[in-house]
Amino acid sequence: LFFIFNPSPARGLLVGLHYVCPRLSLIYIFNIFFRQVDVIEGCRLPVLRKNQENEDEWPLAEILSVKEIPGRKLYYVHYIDFNKRLDEWVTPERLDMKKLQFPKKEAKTPTKNGLPGSRPSSPEREVPQAQQKCLPTKTSISDFQVLQQQVQPPTITVRLCFDFLSPLFKFSQNGTARRPMPNQPGRKRKQPPNCGGTDEDSQDSSDGIPSAPRMTGSLVSDRSHDDIVTRMKNIDCIELGRHRLKPWYFSPYPQELTTLPILYLCEFCLKYLKSLKCLQRHLTKCNLRHPPGNEIYRKGTISFFEIDGRKNKTYSQNLCLLAKCFLDHKTLYYDTDPFLFYVMTEYDSKGFHIVGYFSKEKESTEDYNVACILTLPPYQRRGYGKLLIEFSYELSKVEGKTGTPEKPLSDLGLLSYRSYWSQTILEILMDLKPDNGERPQITINEISEITSVKKEDVISTLQYLNLINYYKGQYILTLSEDIVEGHERAMQKRHLPIDPKCLHFTPKDWSKRGKW
Amino acid sequence: MSKLSFRARALDAAKPLPIYRNKDLPDLNDCVSINRAVPQMPTGMEKEEESEHHLQRAISAQSVFREKKENMVIPVPEAESNITYYDRLYKGELRIPKQLFHIQPLGLDNEQPDYDMDSEDEILLNRLNRKMEIKPIQFETMVDRLEKASTNQMVTITEAKLLLNEDDYLLKAVYDYWVRKRKNCRGPSLIPLIKLEKRDGSTNNDAYVAFRRRTEKMQTRKNRKNDEASYEKMLKLRREFSRTVTILEMIKRREKSKRELLHLTLEVVEKRYQMGDFTGEVLSEVTAPLAEKPVYTVPITVTNGNRHNHKAEIKIKSGGLPYHGYHHVSVKDEDPFDFVRPKKKYTRREPLCRPGRPAKRQHIVNKADIKQYDFHSSGEEDYPLSPSSEPDEENDPDGTFAFRRKAGCHYLAPCLDQTSGLLWDHPELAGLDALRHRQSLTALSVPQRCVGLARRRVGRGGRVLLDRASSDLDGVLKQLDSGVFSSSFPKGLSDHQVPTQNHRTMPGSASSLTDLLSNIQALRWRFFRPRSTQGDDSGEGRTGRPSMDNRLSGGLFVHTKNSGSGGITEEQYQVHQQALAQMQKQQLAQLQLKTAGSTDCIISKTLDSAGAHFAASAVISAPGQVNNENKPDNTSVNGVVQPLVESLPPHSTSTSQGGTGLDRSGRTPSSGGPLLPASHSTTPQSLPNHRGHGSAVSPAHHHHNARPSPSSLKLATMATSSLDRVPKVTPAISSMARDNHEPERLALNGISETTVPMEVT
Repeated sequence: LFFIFNPSPARGLLVGLHYVCPRLSLIYIFNIFFRQVDVIEGCRLPVLRKNQENEDEWPLAEILSVKEIPGRKLYYVHYIDFNKRLDEWVTPERLDMKKLQFPKKEAKTPTKNGLPGSRPSSPEREVPQAQQKCLPTKTSISDFQVLQQQVQPPTITVRLCFDFLSPLFKFSQNGTARRPMPNQPGRKRKQPPNCGGTDEDSQDSSDGIPSAPRMTGSLVSDRSHDDIVTRMKNIDCIELGRHRLKPWYFSPYPQELTTLPILYLCEFCLKYLKSLKCLQRHLTKCNLRHPPGNEIYRKGTISFFEIDGRKNKTYSQNLCLLAKCFLDHKTLYYDTDPFLFYVMTEYDSKGFHIVGYFSKEKESTEDYNVACILTLPPYQRRGYGKLLIEFSYELSKVEGKTGTPEKPLSDLGLLSYRSYWSQTILEILMDLKPDNGERPQITINEISEITSVKKEDVISTLQYLNLINYYKGQYILTLSEDIVEGHERAMQKRHLPIDPKCLHFTPKDWSKRGKW
Repeated sequence: MSKLSFRARALDAAKPLPIYRNKDLPDLNDCVSINRAVPQMPTGMEKEEESEHHLQRAISAQSVFREKKENMVIPVPEAESNITYYDRLYKGELRIPKQLFHIQPLGLDNEQPDYDMDSEDEILLNRLNRKMEIKPIQFETMVDRLEKASTNQMVTITEAKLLLNEDDYLLKAVYDYWVRKRKNCRGPSLIPLIKLEKRDGSTNNDAYVAFRRRTEKMQTRKNRKNDEASYEKMLKLRREFSRTVTILEMIKRREKSKRELLHLTLEVVEKRYQMGDFTGEVLSEVTAPLAEKPVYTVPITVTNGNRHNHKAEIKIKSGGLPYHGYHHVSVKDEDPFDFVRPKKKYTRREPLCRPGRPAKRQHIVNKADIKQYDFHSSGEEDYPLSPSSEPDEENDPDGTFAFRRKAGCHYLAPCLDQTSGLLWDHPELAGLDALRHRQSLTALSVPQRCVGLARRRVGRGGRVLLDRASSDLDGVLKQLDSGVFSSSFPKGLSDHQVPTQNHRTMPGSASSLTDLLSNIQALRWRFFRPRSTQGDDSGEGRTGRPSMDNRLSGGLFVHTKNSGSGGITEEQYQVHQQALAQMQKQQLAQLQLKTAGSTDCIISKTLDSAGAHFAASAVISAPGQVNNENKPDNTSVNGVVQPLVESLPPHSTSTSQGGTGLDRSGRTPSSGGPLLPASHSTTPQSLPNHRGHGSAVSPAHHHHNARPSPSSLKLATMATSSLDRVPKVTPAISSMARDNHEPERLALNGISETTVPMEVT
């Protein structure tokens, strides 16, 4: 009977349960079966997705959220060991309920205090309903009483039933998942009600969790603020010029706009609009055809515009909001004042279309020459990222400094930078000619000076390329054939170098200007 | 060969690394393991993310293939680039300019509404458009304004009416629509906006709050301390600047009201003049109920008298006198207790009679007028409790030397009772006590007349100042002064005197000229008088310009004209008028003076130096000219003459000066004298003041005829020293060497000579 009625993958459990609790009323059993078995937040199970070869794969995923739209439920899943950008809403059909795992209590303990370095794969949350392991035999009755009292009238049979069922299924009155309030104790509301909200921002609060990100830089390195809201993408689609972009991450666009199927952006001023009609109206008033800054570089169709985050706040903020859609660690906690934004555009007859950008602190205390860097998805994997990186180092060369991108790097960032560093350094090494019959040699400092790449990055690149060897009592650089070949192949593909002659850039000494 | 038996040295960034190709090093494989000696550099990624499947796959693919493989890249959510309506949406084309774009940060906002119409609005707009013309931009502007005005609360319909200057129907329609729409709107505003932080910190963890302000803390490490200090300094500076701005605003307001007052005063004066209110009766009638607060101004000084005196004219009780007021000088002598009181007097100024209208010039001062006058001059209730500040400093070249009221000082008018105790009420004391009562009879040679009782002292820069004292003998002395320079005494002197003395005379004073003269001759009184010089003194100047000479009497002593014994004839006066008119024509067109004579009554800011000198020369030379025919034995210039000089018979003919003495009032002070316009000023801007001063002073002349005040004498001497080029003059005067008349005479001759060219310029 059970097998017949049970459409759920969890039926095995129920069968087991039946044996454990043979006095369960049939009515309740039926209720359970005819309602959809709820997969709650924190559960893990394989979820179907297509890979790049368009093949089916069933990576393990974690349920981050559940929502019910008329007719069906949707589950927001994060694929374990995949980047968050691939998180998505899936229909129940894509869930492999057979392999459902319920959330483990231990999973959160190492990240409870938001210690940097070990990011939880799922956002922190309080899940009082589901703190127990999935096997009912391991649960103790007392653990569940608090919870089930909220849900069901306290009749003996019901309680007995739910004592066992509650860790497995959640019956919610309205059918939607009760989203646990992200009220992490010690994080929310820990500030006294009368605090000014300014002075304490930069200080750690008593329980050791920073209440606000550091004020330098534009990236957050720890995930202590990674709650369920920021963990999930909130914009479905952005229309920007000719492109429709699928955001990768959360971005704090006005909340009322997050429910829209498409968020429209003005291609040039990046203003966000709720509908195509609004965009149309906006375009009658917005006569920008390029980013509202000074063009400091132009070669061919590629231009760079410099925008001061203090002077052009609206554009800077709009740019940050857009960029946040594609940058996980970027924080928009603070204003844009201490940053300069370098927007790369490609010209066509319609105007200067934004391709990507990087931001840069006006004054960096840690030799950062890039804070955030992004090539917009439609332009990715076409060499623009490398161009952006190259441009950032060209600026550093003009400034006479070495620089490094702000950390943490994203996966794409790491690949791009490594690629750029490798190519730049290899080019130098291969161009070195023997001097008076002597073997060419170079110091790491020299490489750093030539390229403006910070010394540590040079070393890590040499290491990554496996060039450093210890030979006959000294360190040497060895160039293997495959490296040389690979480099030559890569250089053939690289067709868009930055021309320093086209750069019209005078660095400003921001420290002497007072406040940015 | 290379085993790990030793510890590899750390990688030195400054040490050259030789570069080998692998093929050059067949034995390289032996040393690969040493690679570990180089510390692994962090990737810069978060550890959790570093282990992500796609990244690892991509990294390994790269390390294997040395290039990207299409299927090994990190997958990202898809993007589409096929918006078909793009060209319709983004209209127009942009031609790439040759120049790089350079944005002017301020040129960006063209004040377009931030609100963008949606299709719902379009429906409304279409509906409205059936009744009236409304453009989308107009609608957007309306909604935009409504939105921006409703930060906390929605604006009401009345506020909306103020906000939007639209017709009622449209406004009502749009407003109602807006209210409805806003209530249905899920966001806080119809213009979607980023959530702003709340300062109470409640939004610190709100994920939708972005772009929070940074705290005040400085970001830079090096100069944090300096930065904070300078930040505080900037704050302070800002405060101070804003205070300065406030103060300047207030000054601006004050100056505006001052100008207003000035214009009003001017108007009052003109009105009074037109209605002939020379006695001030009308004014006092009008102003009496106002219970006007006394306004105290800086007492008359040499230069700022102009404006000040105009004020004094409308303010019945106000009006300052210079330090060298005369009346009380003798008081000072007698009663040290009263020392402070004489410093300030409250006179009632009359507008100067215009010489051009003889009928109006006639001004009989009646008893009541004088009473009123006295009342005001001595009224204790009018004394200031605190000094008023007359901030007219920029017009005051006297600068620090100007008289200023002292805070907390009470400046008392002379008591009437005390006048009975004056020296001149007890003439028997005068001669005997000459040293104590240093007021002596004094005569000037240019103009040749007796200035009455005066005391000499050395002023600033060695100038000789004559402090004049008024006494009841003034009338007599007036006659004396012509007598000083003429050989014969007027016979009917006392006849003149009696009817014109319309104030009480001191019973004990020597009221007859003969008594006075006998006193002088008997050396009971000292009489300083210029020693006689050759007859050519100041001759050419005066004879060459008789009309100008007459101007003095015309302009300043107008009332003498009809006072019976006046020496200035009608025709003299007319000539003078013509001369003045000519002068006027020569002056610039901006002169607002109607006639030359009217300059006396009007703030003569438009007077130029030529005019001033014109007047000055007239004043100086007029008496001399008048007396010239009568007194060939004219004595020395401007000096003080010992009373024992016989050559001054104290008999005056019926000269103009004699005539002016008719209606004098001995105790009414006057701050200006006839010589006043002759003051030194060579700078054009100070001239008008002098002129005005003279004019303002003029009411006093009704009472104090032709008696130059000490201040005017001072002016005269200053004029002397500045006008002529003889540097010896000033020391000569200041030395008060009675016998050393020669340079002084030269000096005075110089006056008339130098004034001639100056008039022309």
